[in-house]
Amino acid sequence: MTEIQIEPNSFEMVFFDAEKIANLASEVAQILELGDEQIKLRIDETSSMGRSKVESYEPIILAVDGGAFENTQRPRYLGETRTSETIARLLMRIIDRRSPGFANAPEDDLLDLPLRVAWDTYTAGRLNHLGLSTQKKRRQYQFRNRHGFSDAADEAFTFLWGSPNKLVWADIERISVGCRIALV
Amino acid sequence: MRKIFPAEELARDSRFVRQSNEDRMNDPRGARVGGSTGEKLSKLTPNLPNGPDRARALMHGIFVGEIQALEGAGRTCYDFETTTDVPFAMKLDMARQCWDEARHCEISVALAEHMGTEIGEFAENTLLYQAACNPDPVLRLTGVNRALEGLAIDVFNTMKEFGSIAGDPVLEFCEDWMLADEVTHVKMGSDWLRELTLNDKERLTKALEFQKVVDRLFSFNGFRGEDDENPIQLTRRFRELAGFSDEEIDDIAQMSREAAAETVH
Amino acid sequence: MAEVKRPREPFAPWDRRVLPGLFDVEETARRVGNYKWVETKLFETLGGWIATVPELDVKLRLGTHCYHHAWHAELFDKRLPELREMNPERLAIPPNENLVDFMEAMSEPEAPGLTIEKLVGAYRVLLPHKIAAYTYHRNGTSEVTDMPTIRMLDFVLQDEMNDWREGEMLLKSIIETDEEIERATAHQARLEKLMLAAGGIAGKGSIGNAYIDITEEK
Ligand SMILES: [Fe+2]
Ligand SMILES: [Fe+2]
Repeated sequence: MTEIQIEPNSFEMVFFDAEKIANLASEVAQILELGDEQIKLRIDETSSMGRSKVESYEPIILAVDGGAFENTQRPRYLGETRTSETIARLLMRIIDRRSPGFANAPEDDLLDLPLRVAWDTYTAGRLNHLGLSTQKKRRQYQFRNRHGFSDAADEAFTFLWGSPNKLVWADIERISVGCRIALV
Repeated sequence: MRKIFPAEELARDSRFVRQSNEDRMNDPRGARVGGSTGEKLSKLTPNLPNGPDRARALMHGIFVGEIQALEGAGRTCYDFETTTDVPFAMKLDMARQCWDEARHCEISVALAEHMGTEIGEFAENTLLYQAACNPDPVLRLTGVNRALEGLAIDVFNTMKEFGSIAGDPVLEFCEDWMLADEVTHVKMGSDWLRELTLNDKERLTKALEFQKVVDRLFSFNGFRGEDDENPIQLTRRFRELAGFSDEEIDDIAQMSREAAAETVH
Repeated sequence: MAEVKRPREPFAPWDRRVLPGLFDVEETARRVGNYKWVETKLFETLGGWIATVPELDVKLRLGTHCYHHAWHAELFDKRLPELREMNPERLAIPPNENLVDFMEAMSEPEAPGLTIEKLVGAYRVLLPHKIAAYTYHRNGTSEVTDMPTIRMLDFVLQDEMNDWREGEMLLKSIIETDEEIERATAHQARLEKLMLAAGGIAGKGSIGNAYIDITEEK
């Protein structure tokens, strides 16, 4: 059973329930087969922005803005789908990085925006397959912003979105850079 | 049907979720206006890591704002008696604005879909429509057509630039057209304000005061201004076309700076 | 080269317009004034309803149609001074109190659940009456002396027909149950009775009289 630690344990600015978040994280970890690992989740409840990142890969520490877990229809309340999706995306990044095919991927801070978005697209597509991500059009819009509003970029998006567990970092890099060369 | 229709009763289908002003103001993280949050922000451009997502959220804000602008213009057609309260020609302008805002709803819902946003994905607050409830037609016209429609000029110009930088031809094209309409609406406001207060200095002062109140509301947290940290950039060129004087634009810029400074980050 | 001084008829052989018409200047102005009043009341009501209907497509159509009728009111307003009425407001009045009652009853529904009643009033009652009166006027007035009114009515009728169709289609798509049919027809009947009392949008004779009066033999 995955052990989830939520920090802080109670919230003052938002109406989040740490236990609920822990349960959602645990469910996601089960689906992603993360086994018995310990996961620490740091939430900055003062921020209504939607930033999220992997703070540490070993042990797993995820850091998110409260806004990333928020119900967009009801600000300050927990959005369960968004919460699961945000956690799943970060965990999937960790799973990828642990596989040999991603050994050459630059560190998170050194990833340029198009590469990050291309990787996120591949991730979101796989999560969609697992029933954990839904916003395909939103991901496509992000992808187009970084790779051009063109048929080539749309084809690349479709490919990344629909490639369950078969790409390595070199593929993502090639596809992303390829779109950008086509843009020039 | 009643005259003056309350904001709380604006009719929506089940997809829309209303956020009360109280909830908005009570958010200890800072109130949001149109996709911006209480945090210190920077100019909305695609180069920001979350730029596309912020633009996407803002587009939903624009969409519901357009619905409220449509409703407000419609109410101005109905709430006042022709000739006794307002001139016939002013009502015709308001009806024309209804048509324009209806098209803006169509455009922005299509743009929202283009950006991956679903109807009702974000909460709606009715701040815009509330300015359109003022019982004095001159104050209403000034608050709506000069302050809010002026804000629309700033927002659309920022979004048009966003589309241009991102290479998004759909966004750039649509914003360009909406911008033309909004300049027309602000000009209507400027022209009618002058006409209706020609011999009434006191009413003119009151109307401009009300405009300031509304402008101030939408400069909240430095949401709009002409400095680098303002997500929405004040647009001098189009405001001038729409009948704003240099001093008026300077005032709004200054007000935005003050509003930003007052915000606790 | 054709002979330039060769005489031609002022009316080409295919131009069959005739000089006489049903209305003199005063009667035309009276009718046009009534039309302006009706169009104004209608665009105001449609504008007011926008905020009250939850159906998104209906909301947007009302916004669009609101302007169409405002534009018609503007056209009629511009025609009045050309018909010797230098104060267009003087004639921008209802033909009788019954039409005022009709307009009040039509614009009465406000609650968000009353979209059917709102659409029935505008699209099943008022627009068909407008189309009837405008068509009667268009076909009856002099095609030579009153061509400016005819031209306006042609533009207006084109809008009316399109808007009527759109409104009717919205209604058809909203009405889903027997009970809703009852609501629609009951409201229509109520408003039709008021309109009957008014005699049409320009009062009695809005669309002329189709009956032949036969005097009984003694
Ligand atoms: Fe607009
Ligand atoms: Fe506008």
